[in-house]
Amino acid sequence: MNRHGDEAFHRREKSRKKKAFIWQFILLAALLVIFGSFAFNISSNLVARNIHSGFGFLSESAGFELGESLISFSSTESYGRAFLAGLLNTIRVAAVSIITATVLGIIVGLMRLSKHPLLKFLGAAHVEFYRNIPLIVQLLLIYLLITELLPDSTEALHFGSWALLSKAGLQYAVPTDFHAAAAASAVSAILCFIFCRRTFIKTYTGLISSTLALGCALLAGGAVWFAAGIIFGWSKPELQGFAIEGGSSLSPEFLALWIGLTLFTSSAIAEIIRAGVLAVPKGQWNAALSLGMTQMETVSYVIFPQALKLAVPPLASQYMNLTKNSSLAVVVGYPDLVSIGNSTINLNGQALEVIVIIMSVYLVLNLIISVLMNKVNALVTRGAR
Amino acid sequence: MKKTLTAAGLVAASFAFAAAASAGTVLDKVKSSGVVVCGVNTAAPGFSNADSQGNWTGLDVDYCRALAAAVLGDATKVKFVPLNSPQRFSALQAGEIDVLARNTTWNLTRDASLGAVFVGTNYYDGQGFLVPKKLNVKSAKQLNGATICVQSGTSSEPSVADYFKSNNMKYKAVVFDTTEATQGAFLSGRCQVYTTDMSDLAGARTKAANPDDYIILPEVISKEPLGPAVRRGDNEWFQIARWVLNAMIEAEEKGITSANVDELRKTSTDPNVKRLTGAGDDTGKLLGLDKDWSYRIVKQVGNYGESFEKNLGPKTPLALPRGINNQWTNGGILYAPPVR
Repeated sequence: MNRHGDEAFHRREKSRKKKAFIWQFILLAALLVIFGSFAFNISSNLVARNIHSGFGFLSESAGFELGESLISFSSTESYGRAFLAGLLNTIRVAAVSIITATVLGIIVGLMRLSKHPLLKFLGAAHVEFYRNIPLIVQLLLIYLLITELLPDSTEALHFGSWALLSKAGLQYAVPTDFHAAAAASAVSAILCFIFCRRTFIKTYTGLISSTLALGCALLAGGAVWFAAGIIFGWSKPELQGFAIEGGSSLSPEFLALWIGLTLFTSSAIAEIIRAGVLAVPKGQWNAALSLGMTQMETVSYVIFPQALKLAVPPLASQYMNLTKNSSLAVVVGYPDLVSIGNSTINLNGQALEVIVIIMSVYLVLNLIISVLMNKVNALVTRGAR
Repeated sequence: MKKTLTAAGLVAASFAFAAAASAGTVLDKVKSSGVVVCGVNTAAPGFSNADSQGNWTGLDVDYCRALAAAVLGDATKVKFVPLNSPQRFSALQAGEIDVLARNTTWNLTRDASLGAVFVGTNYYDGQGFLVPKKLNVKSAKQLNGATICVQSGTSSEPSVADYFKSNNMKYKAVVFDTTEATQGAFLSGRCQVYTTDMSDLAGARTKAANPDDYIILPEVISKEPLGPAVRRGDNEWFQIARWVLNAMIEAEEKGITSANVDELRKTSTDPNVKRLTGAGDDTGKLLGLDKDWSYRIVKQVGNYGESFEKNLGPKTPLALPRGINNQWTNGGILYAPPVR
């Protein structure tokens, strides 16, 4: 047999492809057998226990109330609407926590990088403390502090007549037409941000102009908010009977979850920022300083753009971790998606369908975060233009 | 190549065999493992509660011990698995526990669609409200706008929603998944009201620093017949579980206690008493047990009245009245079908 040359090569390729095909076929058959036997086992057990399957339960009436929800919900509404309320609650706490965790994380990261020994120590203490204690323990501790130490709603702490802090949460005054005022401030803030950034970028770097534009946007949003309040009147929180009516409120469950998630994730984000900055070669610092740039200029013109390239992908996974960690809401009593799923499972026994719903929702949320962060990553790695 | 193929083939074949194997009956499993696995509450004083040494006591605990005494001959051969509300039915469906004795309400949804069947009622209860006295509330109808702590996965959640809806009142629900978290939030003042079965309310009150600061409102807003449950699909085990409960109740009706059971076994002439003390017809054979099954229940654990007295009676911190949980001959509604 000729072992060399084209003919031999083609012969060998043919037999190799045939073997590869056989192996893949066997693997596929084995996978089908495994999954098929699981599916068969599950369905026969469900039938034996007389447990119904299917997603029809989503249109049945829920029969339970929710502690808080962004959309109106009562016990006669459907399970589907309850899940939607839970999803909005999850998004609400996750979105707010991502923003505050990033801000706090950047501050603590920069503290750790500074030359002042006290700032460095405080930064290190923050990171080590919050990173090393399990999140569920932190959440329980914060919730315990809020519910034990704050006064009853009948003796709430006042901030003038604008806000009340008690065991029932933080109640604060809002303009009477809350949704319109919120929409107006949001729109004016966004417009101000875009306009200001365009103006500032002519004189400053991207980082500084973004920060200044953010500040202007917050001022603009706040101004519109107060204007709405002054023109249309305020809805102030007052004690009526048991409950504090009026104004808007942040429940202790939401506060505990928000604070807990922020502190825990900020320690991880601080380390990511620090890693990003430390990864920039020392030569860059030396070169920039020897050119006569100040510390501030060095950071914003030279170091930060390079540090961001390294920091953005791990930031994405921290945001996804935060979103998944928000499912611990059930231990502090916050009605998020998993908590509502729990109640549903116990009322109609369809654990499989509910868990599939919960898993798909978290998968979609995290995919959205992943796609957005990939776009941000593409932005920062654009390189020299 | 050949070796790998044969190995792969054996693995695939073993999967096929695993799928085809059946679970076997619960009675066989209990007899071969020598222990009854009983799902109980994590902390329900009077029903299932463990003390600091890990000794379990309670009405449901006594039922599990009676089951072990009847089936295995020894009331101590029980393994207690504490479960919280969301886990209890999943654990039963999956076969992790043989019986669920966890002060669980018997209702249609649970009987028909959660893969469980209830063997009977060992405590007729109702749902009520616990409020601090300083709230100055005398009736549940004054609770409009209150914040209510309720546990996830209990029948209390939908009942309180129905009650408030039918009375045109609103409330804010704060829902936790464990009893400890729910009671902790109520006792710390986060919620103004705690709602669950009346027997649980009495137990929760004992945990407060000052039990006299709390009052149980008079309204009973739902029927909560609490009873043990077994997994659907095993009729033999279901019959045994049901008749152990009935034997405990009928033993009290016939006046057989753990103190006099030996004497009655030797001297009684009443055929019903003779059957229950193992001196008459063999009813155990029909259940798959031996002749002394009911004798052992009363001798090692006691009858229903003794169990009630020991766990919920006037000498305990709960001090619940017998009320409707008394024999039908005594003004209550406990009526066990005859063990014959």
